[in-house]
Amino acid sequence: MKDERQITAIQSAAILVSTIIGVGVLALPLFAVRAGESGAPLVTVVSVLLAFVGLAVISLLGMRFPNKSITQYSEDIIGKWPGRIGSALIIAYFAVLSALTAREFGEVVITSVLTRTPLEVTVIVMLLLAALATRNSVTTFAYIHHFYFPLLLFPALLIVALSLKNAEGLNLQPMWGNVSWVRPEMVEGILTITALFQGSFIMTTVIPAMRRPEKALTASAWAMLIAGGLYVTIVAATVGVFGSEEIKNLLWPTLELAKGTSLPANVLERLDAAFLAVWVTAVFTTLFSSYFFTIKEASKLFRLGDHKMFSFFLLPAVYVMAMLPRSILHMYEIIENFGRIGLIFTIAYPLMLWLIALVRRKRGSQ
Amino acid sequence: MFAARTAKTIKLLLVIFMVVPVLTGCWDRLEIEERAVVLGISVDLEKPEAAKEESDVSHLRGAFPVPHQRLLRVAVQIALPGRIPLGPGEGGGGGGGGSEGTVWVIDVVGHTLDDALMNLQQQVSGRIFFGHLRVIVVSEAFARHGMQNLNDYLRRNPEVRRMAWMMISKGSALEVMKAAPELERVPSLYLMSTLDNAVRLGKFPVNYVGMFWSNTSKKGQEAFLPYVEIHKEQNIQVKGMAIFKNDNMVGSTMPFDIASYMVVKGINPAGYRGFVPIGSNPEQTVTIYATSRKSSIKASIRNGKPYFKVSVFTEINMEEKISEQFSVNSSEVLKEIEDNNRRALTKACENLIEKTQKAQSDIFGFGEYVRAKLPNYWNKKVITKEAWQKMYQDVDVEIAISTRMRRVGMKAK
Repeated sequence: MKDERQITAIQSAAILVSTIIGVGVLALPLFAVRAGESGAPLVTVVSVLLAFVGLAVISLLGMRFPNKSITQYSEDIIGKWPGRIGSALIIAYFAVLSALTAREFGEVVITSVLTRTPLEVTVIVMLLLAALATRNSVTTFAYIHHFYFPLLLFPALLIVALSLKNAEGLNLQPMWGNVSWVRPEMVEGILTITALFQGSFIMTTVIPAMRRPEKALTASAWAMLIAGGLYVTIVAATVGVFGSEEIKNLLWPTLELAKGTSLPANVLERLDAAFLAVWVTAVFTTLFSSYFFTIKEASKLFRLGDHKMFSFFLLPAVYVMAMLPRSILHMYEIIENFGRIGLIFTIAYPLMLWLIALVRRKRGSQ
Repeated sequence: MFAARTAKTIKLLLVIFMVVPVLTGCWDRLEIEERAVVLGISVDLEKPEAAKEESDVSHLRGAFPVPHQRLLRVAVQIALPGRIPLGPGEGGGGGGGGSEGTVWVIDVVGHTLDDALMNLQQQVSGRIFFGHLRVIVVSEAFARHGMQNLNDYLRRNPEVRRMAWMMISKGSALEVMKAAPELERVPSLYLMSTLDNAVRLGKFPVNYVGMFWSNTSKKGQEAFLPYVEIHKEQNIQVKGMAIFKNDNMVGSTMPFDIASYMVVKGINPAGYRGFVPIGSNPEQTVTIYATSRKSSIKASIRNGKPYFKVSVFTEINMEEKISEQFSVNSSEVLKEIEDNNRRALTKACENLIEKTQKAQSDIFGFGEYVRAKLPNYWNKKVITKEAWQKMYQDVDVEIAISTRMRRVGMKAK
């Protein structure tokens, strides 16, 4: 483990991008439109900025403590036991996040494609895949993400570009929407979308394995630009094509967008199958990251040298949590509420750590 | 060493054996001959007496939760696997020519769309599959009654594509479903190509069911659908637009109004012909067609009301002249034609707008311009779809058309 400092800045950006692009992309335009109607792209931009604050803090902390992840330096900053409690909460949170990702994946698959396949099977398959993959080292982890990164980004961009020919500029105006920006729905919406970027927390695990940790912030900025840019483009395209009122009728507007988009010359009349293939990969990389974070940080919390043991040990717990939501609407209520609460762990808590580290002049060894 | 290796191999095999069965997706295996591929569906309003035909599939007789709800007659066109020729060379042998035998039309009654489809499923062996649904024909009576239920079912079903065509039939929709036009072997595909070609020829704006839904949802816009009628050769005529207010059809237009609509919206290609008289003598009339159009709609507030200025530019060519009493041989004459065309077109557009205003059906989406460009006014005075429907009745729309006549064909005078 000592000499594993092989991850380049590009790889860590790729990890972040493919982690962020995930299961939430399907419902994203719905969340954004509920908050801001035709101002949905702007709502997304605000969320991206907010999410970037969180990611920047994590990167700055990582650059301050280049050999440690949050589980370790939080103990240095705020003391042994408070740090441990904070880390335990974050680890538990990411375990739940993994469970919800797997469940949302299962729900989409069972509703739109494999309607007769039991939910349990789709969830278990995805979780098993993630658990098996997490038995690798952090370098392999980076390679896997790096490999999938172009496979995620370019098809998604292609679908968006093709769909734009059906878009109407009028649907995107006025840019700030016909609603007030100080409603509770707006704040909730922004926070919910920000929560879709929470996977970027994986940066704290990646930095100790980066070859040049001082580049962490640059990598984060690029990653946020790419992933956030893609999210904003997807929202803009969806709103442009359907109009904000129609999106309120659609559970997964992005999927409908792919369904209504055809390759030129009728090579493929509907792209939803192609899109779902890309999306399954995106879900896998997201789940892979959050699960990897959970077990890797858990092993650090318990001072274990190796994280492999947890990968199957935690599986039943995650699976049971994935099965807890009673219905798809219940699941989305949990995802939205839980995501917003999670921002305390992924933005507020690191921010607090960073400020205390600044005040107490704590710094990791080079 | 050996033991460790064997153990590893066994472990690996175990994992593979555990994973392989769940990766095959056996639950959703559906052989092509086991599914009833629905190509087209029609929905008619039925008299309450038809309830007798219904058997107790989804509910007991008389126990439907909404007792005075209208009854539907739903017909589906199911493709017969193996009978549909796959390529142009393969014809003749299979179905014996024409469109007979490639599809199977079954009709059932029900209280809701799903109820009817469940009654249908009870009679059909294959699972009803909507992945290839191309055409939805709705009778005018049903459309006037309200399409919420139909739209809801189709939006909810993951198999339905948003690229299907929905149309309103004058008279029975079932007749349209049963029609067997000679040109295409599969009737639904003929219906679809009628509309697709109408779009290509400039006879109808592109308006898939997905766009219809989007327009229905928009606050400052109402939806429209093609309004078709079946003719004696079993061909389908596009008779105009069926215009909607919310989910209810509230009126229909003449075919020529489609041209006016496309002029106002500036939709290309242009496919309609217009007669333009020169001077006062009706013998001196020419037929012209537009080759391209541009339009811009500007919204502003005048006297506390939204005011729209529609500026249209069309390019036209001459196609025929009805007598030899005059000749078209100088640019002066073209200028006169331009002037007359401009007046006629303005009149036509104003008529259509007035008609839609009376029906409170803003199919042009003028309200969307207010919402998008004048958000302050919209947020204060309009906000809801209902308010816009009321307001649309008395907004002013100014049409300013400019025309350039470019070509006259191959004849010199």
